[in-house]
Amino acid sequence: MAVYDINRILVPEAPPEYEDHTRDVHYVPAPCQVACPVGTDAPSYIAHIWDKNYEAAFEAITATNPFSSICGRVCDAPCEPACRRVDSDGAVQIRNLKRFVMDKLGATYRPPAVPITRKQSIGIVGAGPAGLVAAHDLCVAGYAVHVYEMTDRLGGMMIWGIPAFRLPPGIIEEDVERLKQRCPGLTVHLETALGRDVSLETLKARHDAVLLTIGAWWGKPMGVPGEADERVVDGVGFLRRVNAGERPEMPETVVVVGGGDVAMDACRVAKRLPGCKHVKVIYRRGPDEIPARKIELHHALKEDVEFLYHTQQVAVVPRGNQLALRCVNTTLGAPDEDGRRRPVVIEGSEHEILCGAVIAAVGQRGLCETLDRVGMMGPDRVRAEWDSMRTSDPQVFAAGDGAFGGSTIVMAMHHGQRAAYYLRHFLEGDGDPLPYRTPYRTRRVPVAQDLMWERFPIQEPVFVGLGERPAEFPEIELTYDTDTARAEAARCYRCDAETGSADYSVQHREDIFSMARTDPRDASKLKAMLDRRLRLRENPFPEERSACLDDLVFLPANLSRLVIDPYREACRIDWRLGERLALDVPFFVAGFDAANEALQVAVDRGAAAAGAACLGTTRPGPNAPWLQLCEPGRDAPSDNAVGVVYRVGERWHPMPTMRAHEGQILGLLLTSRRGLEDAIVYALEHGFDLLVLDGTGALGDRGTRNGEWPELRTAPDLALVRDTIATLRRLKQEEMIDIAWFGGARSGTDAAKLVGLGVNTIGYGVAAALALGGEMTPTGMLFAPDRTEEERVGAVMNLLKANAGEASMMARCAGKTRLHNIEPEDLRSITRATATATGIPLAGTRVA
Amino acid sequence: MVTIDLAQTPVREANERIRRYGADGTDVELVNPDARHHLGVGLVHPIHVRIRGSAGYFCAGLTDAARFEVDNNVGWGVGDNMYSGRVVVRGNAGAIPGVAIRGAEIVIHGNMGSRAGQVMKAGTLACAGNANFMAGYMMYGGRIIILGDSGEKVGEDMTGGHIFVGGRVQDLGSDAEQVDLEDGEDDDLRAFLDRYELRFTGTFKKIANAGRKLRYATSERQIRSIPFFTFSGASEYWNPKIQEDIYIKSQIGRYRIRGYGGARALPHLADLGFRRDVSRAGEDADVVSKVALKTEIGGLNGANPLKLSMPVMIAPMSYGALSASTKRAIGLASTLSGIAENTGEGGMSDAQRGAASQLIFQMLGGRLGWNIHDMNRADGLEIYISQGAKPGLGGQLMAKKVTPELARIRGIPHGIDLRSPSRHPDILGGDDLLIKVEEMREATGYRLPVSVKLGAGRVSDDVKIAVKDGFDFIELDGMQGSTGAGSAEVIDYVGVPTLPAVIEAVGALEEIGRRQDIELVLMGGIRDGVDAVKALCLGADAVAFGTSTIIAGGCIACMQCHVGQCVTGIATQDPAHESRYDPEAESHNIHRFLEGVRWQIAALTHALGYSDFRALNRDDLVALTPEAAEITGLPHEPGVRAKTPELRVSLA
Repeated sequence: MAVYDINRILVPEAPPEYEDHTRDVHYVPAPCQVACPVGTDAPSYIAHIWDKNYEAAFEAITATNPFSSICGRVCDAPCEPACRRVDSDGAVQIRNLKRFVMDKLGATYRPPAVPITRKQSIGIVGAGPAGLVAAHDLCVAGYAVHVYEMTDRLGGMMIWGIPAFRLPPGIIEEDVERLKQRCPGLTVHLETALGRDVSLETLKARHDAVLLTIGAWWGKPMGVPGEADERVVDGVGFLRRVNAGERPEMPETVVVVGGGDVAMDACRVAKRLPGCKHVKVIYRRGPDEIPARKIELHHALKEDVEFLYHTQQVAVVPRGNQLALRCVNTTLGAPDEDGRRRPVVIEGSEHEILCGAVIAAVGQRGLCETLDRVGMMGPDRVRAEWDSMRTSDPQVFAAGDGAFGGSTIVMAMHHGQRAAYYLRHFLEGDGDPLPYRTPYRTRRVPVAQDLMWERFPIQEPVFVGLGERPAEFPEIELTYDTDTARAEAARCYRCDAETGSADYSVQHREDIFSMARTDPRDASKLKAMLDRRLRLRENPFPEERSACLDDLVFLPANLSRLVIDPYREACRIDWRLGERLALDVPFFVAGFDAANEALQVAVDRGAAAAGAACLGTTRPGPNAPWLQLCEPGRDAPSDNAVGVVYRVGERWHPMPTMRAHEGQILGLLLTSRRGLEDAIVYALEHGFDLLVLDGTGALGDRGTRNGEWPELRTAPDLALVRDTIATLRRLKQEEMIDIAWFGGARSGTDAAKLVGLGVNTIGYGVAAALALGGEMTPTGMLFAPDRTEEERVGAVMNLLKANAGEASMMARCAGKTRLHNIEPEDLRSITRATATATGIPLAGTRVA
Repeated sequence: MVTIDLAQTPVREANERIRRYGADGTDVELVNPDARHHLGVGLVHPIHVRIRGSAGYFCAGLTDAARFEVDNNVGWGVGDNMYSGRVVVRGNAGAIPGVAIRGAEIVIHGNMGSRAGQVMKAGTLACAGNANFMAGYMMYGGRIIILGDSGEKVGEDMTGGHIFVGGRVQDLGSDAEQVDLEDGEDDDLRAFLDRYELRFTGTFKKIANAGRKLRYATSERQIRSIPFFTFSGASEYWNPKIQEDIYIKSQIGRYRIRGYGGARALPHLADLGFRRDVSRAGEDADVVSKVALKTEIGGLNGANPLKLSMPVMIAPMSYGALSASTKRAIGLASTLSGIAENTGEGGMSDAQRGAASQLIFQMLGGRLGWNIHDMNRADGLEIYISQGAKPGLGGQLMAKKVTPELARIRGIPHGIDLRSPSRHPDILGGDDLLIKVEEMREATGYRLPVSVKLGAGRVSDDVKIAVKDGFDFIELDGMQGSTGAGSAEVIDYVGVPTLPAVIEAVGALEEIGRRQDIELVLMGGIRDGVDAVKALCLGADAVAFGTSTIIAGGCIACMQCHVGQCVTGIATQDPAHESRYDPEAESHNIHRFLEGVRWQIAALTHALGYSDFRALNRDDLVALTPEAAEITGLPHEPGVRAKTPELRVSLA
């Protein structure tokens, strides 16, 4: 299953009955997920593991894989070579991570049972991974399923083919028990062989459909003279005996022929059995071509199995009480039809390897006399169509190794899922369903925030190897502990997810990646890619988007004016509020009137430390200069306030002009564009020093209770500052009165933009609350009492200082040595709504 | 010794002759210099050049090994970027004497102007008289000897090196401090003065970097970027990105830094569609052979143009931001695809030069790694004014990436948080730039195209200035361009998006009647052949790809370039991490990407009814959003959207 084939570009539609997220623009199935025949959402479960959310990880693992515990131990793990980190410092150890989760939860989790809801039933022959997965999926779809198994256990090759040191028996039971729990509609008939105990005709009569998953149970002969010797055994047969509990005495030297997974298991089993000292594996190609999974090969080498590459058997000859395996050496020739280079015999290289037994692991085949008789068998497997999983009998389907040749557990499971899909459509009378495609889901788990993610090397599990009593087949390696598992999980690149780049979204990145893996001569793939790239993006600025500070940009200095080095050169940011109050930074903190005392203290001290002021109905503390917000007719100006700001209500009416003392700044708080001109005229005529524009109306809200943050209710109305400045300009009074802004200011960048629009000082409310550790809730903010006073004070001060730095950086990029020299002409809008609300022209358009 | 009479011989010819005499080992005397600019520039042989009179700007600039003697005064920038050799000026020197020198000895008998030794890396600049303000401004190494008074702000923002003042230190610059002389240092100074027969009997005050600004005081906690794809458009006002920003700033008290491109969507070429139905584009498998794609860039004023197999280049990206292996992979890919690569800031390595068949050499204000030898082996020279990702900011390379090797090439101390100057010492406006371009042409015999790289801002004005300054082509970089490190807020909020930038640029060229001959290379968020064709339709003569080539070569866009531990070995200088990158394999990936781009350009050009990409024009496009329509002046055709598959969201 190639990850970068055309299906990655032209993603086929998934059958609608499955949950599939490939149409989500913020998601691409990661290479590991695509490489997995059952589409396991590995990135999600890996991220869940890092987050210690093991139940969620378990859900993601088991969603499409009823044999997750088994796969955690022995899956061929095609995900790992597909992992993008493989090219860097090694693939994420996805299988070991799965094992970690399954060890935690696999034995105890009991899934909810899915009852039978349909009248039809299906008979399945063979209880290997293909058959049982099909049974699972069909049971989950509501059908009654009968499984007929010729041996005395469920599991097929998972149980008979894999030695216990790799897959302890309890693990198989774990999965099987979970499956049975989930599938009450499943009836198992053990020791019931097709042909011997039950006929195909009976099954067809008894069930609405039959699925043949008979497996590739029998070893192929080597096809060399002398292999009839009783000391020559076939690999799968040998494993079957051992897995049945036998521990046969072995000769001192055993030769295993073949390079596949059966050969790997056979050689390692032999190595553990009594009497055996040397195990040699001969393989006709080289170490780069050997099909065995890398990790098995690696483990076999660790266990002192000897590998003789480029060696091909030609005969078995008795030699005294031993056997001689006559061999020739090979070299690699031209590639054959499956793309692998064909071994070519080297003349005169004939030699003999002496041994006591030969285990032939050169391939498997399925055999079934009864099917053969009715013409349903090919040379070594059931004849079936991959596109429909059907056999020549319209009521009979086939899947797994017994239909499509020897493969892996996880591939057999995919067969089971495919077969279940086509069976369901058959039973529902839909003869021509959408072609099956493995569905891909994402659980949209946030990326692991581990600072070491780039540096952690592969976390190797503890390797035990043969152990102290090899013949007892102790497990070869240990499961990760929690720290190791989390370190390994942190290594995941998260190829499935957005990273935060707008123009290089996950899908666009993936397209570039696919282009880089497309042969320039492959016109059909290039055409598919072009079609994909010609799709349109959503408009990021839909019409309902209101004007926003985000949608203003600064025009940088370049050639037409000199840039002020933002790293070094000075840029003044201080401001004299109302020409009376010297502020180091042109900021104030407001909106904390209803906040608790601890927050008020932090606001007062933090603002003072940063050289900013506070604004509110009460004084938060003795340190920062306080602008008193007064309700006209109710509050009297305080002697302690550096300024008094009268709150104008929804409708304009003349305000008091009372100051507590001569030096006090006199201001108006305006929350609405209604009556704006009247208010401005009044302020100018009555000697006011300051207009506080409240773009969200938060400070005008008298009903604020603790925990409510009215600033959160709405985005600020930027037209308030536009109209204020326009009014002043019309009155020829621009810069004759100080303009302060409150509402929706988040950053120093926002502040600099507001300065460009004509504001002199900027207030932070929610921003300061967030700095203080506030967590946004649907109605307001919550503060965990987990910070010290100094931490809170530091947070407010740091935010104000950082915002001051940001504001001056914007000014310097625009070529200003003073923040307040930013002009509207230094800004451009990038949306029409913002252009309208601010009067700042759209970028690229000619200014009239 | 031969004599050249500058009253009779134009400077261009004189410089060519000086270089020829240099190759022969013949000393030269220049008479009647009349303060002409660029005398002797580009000379790389150890001959003696005697100037009988006064020299103008950049005397002895961009040279190595030659010995100059000037009888009278020099204008600004004497010995500009000189590697070794010496200049002795009997009179006074204008501003920035010894700017960016990397080992030469420059001796001024009279007084010297302001910003002496700005961004110098090594060597000695000595002045028998007084220095004007900011001597040693942003110097990285070497020494300045001022026998007279220092002027104001001496050592302003110096990073390394030392300044010795014999007279009065008027005041110290930011991050400079007065320290004691080390043993033997005084003897060394006097031995130097003796060699140049300068008499000094007083005592020296030594000024060095105080180390307060070389590193950020608090390091920002590394955080894997959270996908904020909702943070513009219909997003929440107080969205998760805002919350995270505020939280981090409340911890560090400083603006945030990150790498990569913009985090928020902006108006983009993606908001344009094609007027004709292009759904059948590419049905002809052999379309590449049917569309003329070859082009030449930079031949406007007679230099050898870059020869491109398609209207595509690699955008400037530095060895520094990127690992040497990555630069090698990109260079190899550019060669395989027959296009031009660009060094970015920070110098040219042999590996880069070897990998790329056509290489543009970029010059920044810090003159990091800039030198005459690499200029001579470049295929184009580029003056960086700013970049789209962070116009106004200089380059930024966090200490983790400033390795000894990198520091050696750049001529700076290793282990500092390198924040490159954001403007050139000798380009304070368009007039200076004109003279600078001339110096570069003089030094390289007018062989190489000289281009300007502009981050998009006041595009119309900037483009007109660039045209007046006589550049061979203009590289315009919209704000969707990426960077190795920069202030996150600058990346997202300073500059003009690529789409309005190209509209403004083309409009400006039309306004001054130069649309036909000035070549415009557009970059900044151009991702594939579809974007490229739209840019070409709007009037670009070529486009440059940066980020997408990196992605083709394995980048996972984690946006942690600034940290320096790039997991894929791309944006790192850590050998263990770099070893994860296989330049040969990735060069083929990048090459295949570029060939995919070629195919897309050909297929779309063909589908639009042309056999030459030059025929593409703005009437081939329509706008799909109201913003794009207003920005481009193209008809708003929302109906095209209805006919084209759209990316669908189905969040479960």
